[in-house]
Parts: sequence; C-alpha cells; structure tokens
Amino acid sequence: MAPPDISTGRGRVRMIAAILRAQWLSMRGFRLGSSRRGAALSLGIAFAWYGFWAMLGLMVEEAMAGSGAQAGTLLPTGLLLVFLYWQLAPLVSASMGASLDLRKLLVYPVPHRLLFRVEVLLRLTTCAEMLLLLAGGVAGLLRNSLYGGWTAAPRLLSGALVFVAFNLLLAAGLRCLVERLLARKHIREALVLFLVLAVATPRLLVSTGRAPRSLDEMFAAAHFLPCPWAGAARWMAGGGWVAGAAVLAAWTLAAWAFGRWQFERSLRFDAQAARATEIDPAEAKPVRLEWLFRLPGSLLRDPLAAIVEKELRSLSRTPRFRLVFIMGFSFGVLVWLPVAIGQQGRLDSAVAQNFLAVVSVYALTLLGQVSYWNAFGFDRSAAQVYFSLPAPVSTTLAGKNLAAALFILLEIGLVTAASLLLRIRIPVAKILEAFLVTPVAALYLLAIGNLSSVHYPRAMNPERVSQGGAAGRWQGLVFLFFPAALLPVFLAYLARAVFDSQTAFYGVLAFAALLGAVVYRIAMDSAVEAAGRRRETLLAELSRGEGPVASE
Amino acid sequence: MTEPSPAIVVRGLRKVYGNKAAVDGVNLTVPRGCFFGFLGPNGAGKSTTIRMLTGLVPPTSGEIELLGLRMPGQETEIKQRIGLVPDESLLFDRLTGAEFLEFVGRMYGLDRAVARDRGRALLDVFKLNENRKLIAEYSKGMRKRLAMAAALIHHPDLFLMDEPFEGVDAVGARLMKDILLDQVRRGATIFLTSHVLEVVERLCDRVAIIQEGRIVTEGALADLRGGAESLEEVFVRVVGAEREFAKLDWL
Repeated sequence: MAPPDISTGRGRVRMIAAILRAQWLSMRGFRLGSSRRGAALSLGIAFAWYGFWAMLGLMVEEAMAGSGAQAGTLLPTGLLLVFLYWQLAPLVSASMGASLDLRKLLVYPVPHRLLFRVEVLLRLTTCAEMLLLLAGGVAGLLRNSLYGGWTAAPRLLSGALVFVAFNLLLAAGLRCLVERLLARKHIREALVLFLVLAVATPRLLVSTGRAPRSLDEMFAAAHFLPCPWAGAARWMAGGGWVAGAAVLAAWTLAAWAFGRWQFERSLRFDAQAARATEIDPAEAKPVRLEWLFRLPGSLLRDPLAAIVEKELRSLSRTPRFRLVFIMGFSFGVLVWLPVAIGQQGRLDSAVAQNFLAVVSVYALTLLGQVSYWNAFGFDRSAAQVYFSLPAPVSTTLAGKNLAAALFILLEIGLVTAASLLLRIRIPVAKILEAFLVTPVAALYLLAIGNLSSVHYPRAMNPERVSQGGAAGRWQGLVFLFFPAALLPVFLAYLARAVFDSQTAFYGVLAFAALLGAVVYRIAMDSAVEAAGRRRETLLAELSRGEGPVASE
Repeated sequence: MTEPSPAIVVRGLRKVYGNKAAVDGVNLTVPRGCFFGFLGPNGAGKSTTIRMLTGLVPPTSGEIELLGLRMPGQETEIKQRIGLVPDESLLFDRLTGAEFLEFVGRMYGLDRAVARDRGRALLDVFKLNENRKLIAEYSKGMRKRLAMAAALIHHPDLFLMDEPFEGVDAVGARLMKDILLDQVRRGATIFLTSHVLEVVERLCDRVAIIQEGRIVTEGALADLRGGAESLEEVFVRVVGAEREFAKLDWL
C-alpha cells in the first residue's frame, strides 16, 4: 500500500495541521488537567500584559488618525522601533518564544520547508505585542484621509503584512543562529555580554551626552529608503509606494533566504556534541570552585548542607541559569545606568543615589525565573527524589532557598564590581546598604517563590538557554507580584525621604526584615502543607513531556 | 522470640484516577528475605503500586506497612530503610555520578567521607567511573546502573525496583543480579517488576501477577509453574492474551 502523499499542497497542509493539533492537545491536557489554577493565573497575566499593549495600540491608532500629514513622518520611525523590538527583545530577554522540538519531529518524513513554515509562524509568539501596535497604526492610517483613507486599505494592509512577514522570517533565522551559538559551551556567556552591550550602549551614549548627534542621525536613517522599515512606510503611506514595495520585497526575500539557511544549519547541528564534556578521564582534575560548593557543608549539617551543595553544583552547570545570572549584573548595570544618569548627565536622581540597591534588586528579580520562583523546574522528574528520601520537604525548600540566597549575594558582589569597573563612585555605606536591602527583599520573594514552586510548578529544560513561551507571561508576573513583594523595602526608602533620616530608613528596614521573616515562615509552612497534599500533581507537572513545540 | 514482621503488607490498596481504578483492591504479603517478582501486562498497575509503596503517590484507600512500619505515619523511618530503583529516571542531570551518589548517601544520613568512599566504590563496581561526566550524558543503561548504585549506598533492608534491568547490557544486568542475590542472602528483601520473565524466573522465589489493577495470582514460583510450564506460559495463560494482530489485515 502506498504511503500518504506529502508532495501535494493538501498533504502538506495536513502535516502542518497534525503538528499544530498535537501541540494543542498537549497544551490542553496540561491547561485543563492537573493545574487549572496555573492555567487561570497564566491567562490572567496574559490578559493584563496584552491588555496593556492593546491600550498602547489604541493610542497609536489615535495618534496616526489625528496627526494629519505628520503620520507620514512618524511612520518610518515607528516601524524602525517595531523592527528593533521584534528582533532584539527576544535576544536580550532570552525569551525566544516557542519553537519546534526538532528532536521529536525529525524522525518523521516531514519536508524541511514545511517545518520552516511552522517555525516562522511560531515567531508570532515572541512579539505578539508588536502586532497589536501595528494593527493600531494601520487602523489609524485607514482613518487618516490624507493617506487615502479606506480606499487605500489594500495598499496599507499588504504593506503591513509583508513587513510582518519580513520580521517573522528574520526573527526565525536569528533565533536559529543564536540558539546554535548559545549551545556552544564557551561562546554563550560571551555572546550574552556582547548582545547586552550592543543593546544598552546607544542608550548609554545618549544619556551621557557622548554621541547625541550620531543617534539623531540614526533615527534620521528611519527615512532612508533602502532600509526595510522606510520601504514599508512608503508602501503603506503611498507617495512612491512602488519603490517602497520593491525595497521591502527585496528585504523580505533576503530575510527568507537567511532564515531558511540558518534553519537548515540548525537541523544539522549536533547540540549534544557541542555540549559534551571534554574531559580525559585519566586527568581527573578537581572541579573548579569545589571549595565554594563545599562551603555550605562546613557551616551547615546534612541533609540541608547536601541539598545546598547539590543546588550550587547543578545551577552553576545549567546553561540557562548561567545566562540569566550574567544578565543580572551586566544587563542590570547597563540598563539602569542611563536611567540613573538621566539626560542631563547628573547623578543626583533617586535612582543614581541608590544605584547599587536598585540594580541588585533588579538582579534578584531576574534570578527568580531560573531559581526560587520555580524551585523544582530544572529537576523535572528527578524532583521525585526529594519525596522518596528521608528528608522533609521543608528542608528541601530551605536548601534551595539558601542556594538561591548565596547566588543572590554573589550577584550583588558582581554588580558592585561591575559598577566600580565602570568608574561609578559608590560609597561604602551604599555597598553595605545594598547587601542589607537585597536580602530583605529576597525574604519576601523567596516566600512567594516557595508557594509558586509548589502550586505552579513547570518543568524547565536546562539545555535550552533561552526561555520559551511568551516573554509576556514572565513580565506580567513581575508586574503583578513583584511590586507588592518589594513594598516593605520601598517603604524604608520612603521613610528616609520623608524624614530625611538614616535612622528612619534602617528602622523601617529592620521592621521589614522581621516581617519578612514571619512572612517567609508562614509561606514555608503553607508550601510544605501544599506539597504534601498535592504531591502527585506537582510531580506530574514536573514530569510532563511536551508536544511537537517546545515552550520551555 | 517473635517472628519479624513481613517486609511488605498491603491491604485493600486502591488508587483511582478520575473514574478509573489503576489499582483496585490489592492485598499482598511479602515475607522478609524474599526475592519477589511483581508482574503484569502494560498498564496493569505495577508502577502505580510501587509508587504508592514509596510514598510518591498517596493511595485512594487501603493500608501499607513496610518492614512493620505504617505508611504514611512512619514514612521517614520507612524511607531510611528502603532503596528505590524507579522506572523513570530520578537522577539530577547536572551532577556527576560521584556527586549524585555522595548526595544520596548524605541524604540517608551517612557521614560525608563515608558517602564519598562508598560512592566511589560503587562507581568502580558498576563501571561508571568516568570522572566528571555529567549524568545528562549517560546512556539509559548507565542511568539504571547509577540508580541501582544509589539504592545500595545506604545498605537498605528493602529494595523496591521498577524495571531495573531495562536498557542494561548483559554484563551490567549480570552484575546487578549477583548483587541482588547476595543482598537477599544477607537478609534483605527485593520487590521488583520486570517484563523480562526469564530474569524473574531465575531470580524470584515468589511472584504475583496483577492485571487491570487486581492481583490475579500469587504464590511461590515453583507452585505457579506446576513443574511443566515456563513463567511466560503461566503469565500468558493467566492474563488471557489473545492473538489480536490478525485483525490488522492491512499489515
């Protein structure tokens, strides 16, 4: 009997439909099965996050509709910013969205071009926010009679669609390239630093007044026709739209070629070989940082010390954790520094005066996604060990919290070192303050994290350097919970500002620490009780496999 | 002198998922010092039963006693004395074999130096002494051998093993069998599931067969075989397997 025909359009559509259906069923089983609360929380966060961007889209719509002829001037710059966000945000946030799990799909006779099409469509998961903004811009132009109004709808919509396609194709290629680079052991951290510097340097230059003219020239380039965003703007706004269409079409073709090329290379890439331990068994050198891993054992007793030691070893060898750890101090410093300096280049703002504490707390929140917020995530099915060994769950959670705390302290030290290297003058008192404020904030975040870890556990792939899924979900979580968790620390700063007194600051901070300890204890008891009660669900969530699309 | 309590006593054990009973009223007694085989077709409830015995899954109803101790009330004491080789890997991928064994030893209360020394010795015996190779790079058979080593490190009285020989090569399997038989001679109890009936036939004193969540037969291996039949023939007869594939006329 002949095998099914996959060379026809219908056959290919069936294949794509089968992949997407398998993914939907995988997600549905998860969402509606063992973790309805997790699903409800995710949906709530997604609603808040995309609701925010939908509002921005409405504002863009109003601006484009009501700005008359100025819309034509704003459009290229707007499209440039959309392009930059679309391509760079996933790289910098290490949240590259869902992608095909090629290991699972390559065993089937699926043509590569078909897989590429699905991969391109999946890029929509990284920047759905930009689609909302684009939709707002297009709707605004449709209402703007100076740009043809509703009669220009075919031109406007076709231009916008091709611009979206260009971004999807380019994002697919970049994603493949960056994932391969990040899979190589000695390149990934250096690449992260390079990307962070590339993203943050222009902003830093503006804020320090070093090269404002070059940035003005850069934004003037938004109108430079050979650029794809300028071509898209010309196409959509009319007035020489044929030239604009030709430019954008050429760029889209180039993006398709680039994306396809990188995708094929990814298919041939042996990630396992790239990650393999290159060690001659005969050499048997001691592990670097062995003394650091053994340190808890000299201060604590087993089984707590054993768990802390295990966490220190495991996390430091997990590519995703290392990436976020490096981002914590590098990205943190370079993002907050321009905010601190401001446009006038002065250091008297609130952020500047508390720079180290701000960056340290930022690093603390960033670390949450790879440690305390989902403490069992990297363990996955191995988390069952904690329930089969004769140690209470409270010890396990406490051990994981302690390990996270050690990494947090290390992060503060590195933030301090990075700041000093950049010649940012930080008084000793401020360094001490950062080492006090951050652990107090950590108490609240660890408390919430323990509850989150047992109520909303998710398996995380330690080999995946980037976070899958929509970045919006994590960012939404940050916007919802973190401000509340950091409120006690914020009140200490408020007390200092209001009373102009260090005593008030340290007094409120001490109270916040005490309250934090109580909150931590209550949350721990609740988490332990929940872990015992919903042990089966928790372990099932952590052991869950994925569909054809890998989202974590 | 009172007789020691059985290694495992299970009464009326049930586990229900939705409206389906994965384990439906299992009663079982496994004497101490016994090599016990727990058999059944795929999806019969073997792994679910073991997971309930180890406390990973709470039963819907029923009683469990291991080594005279009640589960879940004396769970910690029970865990101190059992060694688990699960079906799924419970290994931490980002540790080396040596680090994992030391971790497990310390979690069972061994002194750090003792845990490390025993771990090294076990790695030598199981031919897993590739220094600093992460568990993530282990093959399936290597993972099973490491899991076995982890179950041995604290010298337990009771071993609960779910498909311990799956994916293990002949040499490794022979080594594991020899170690297990030696443990039984020293008074330990082995409770294992396996699809490899020849292995069960060679190792086990007693066997129970579970099907659709219920024990369909149990007893000494010699009695079940009745002298003439192999264990495979007994198994196929008891679970009522039929030659279904004739329906696949397109194959």
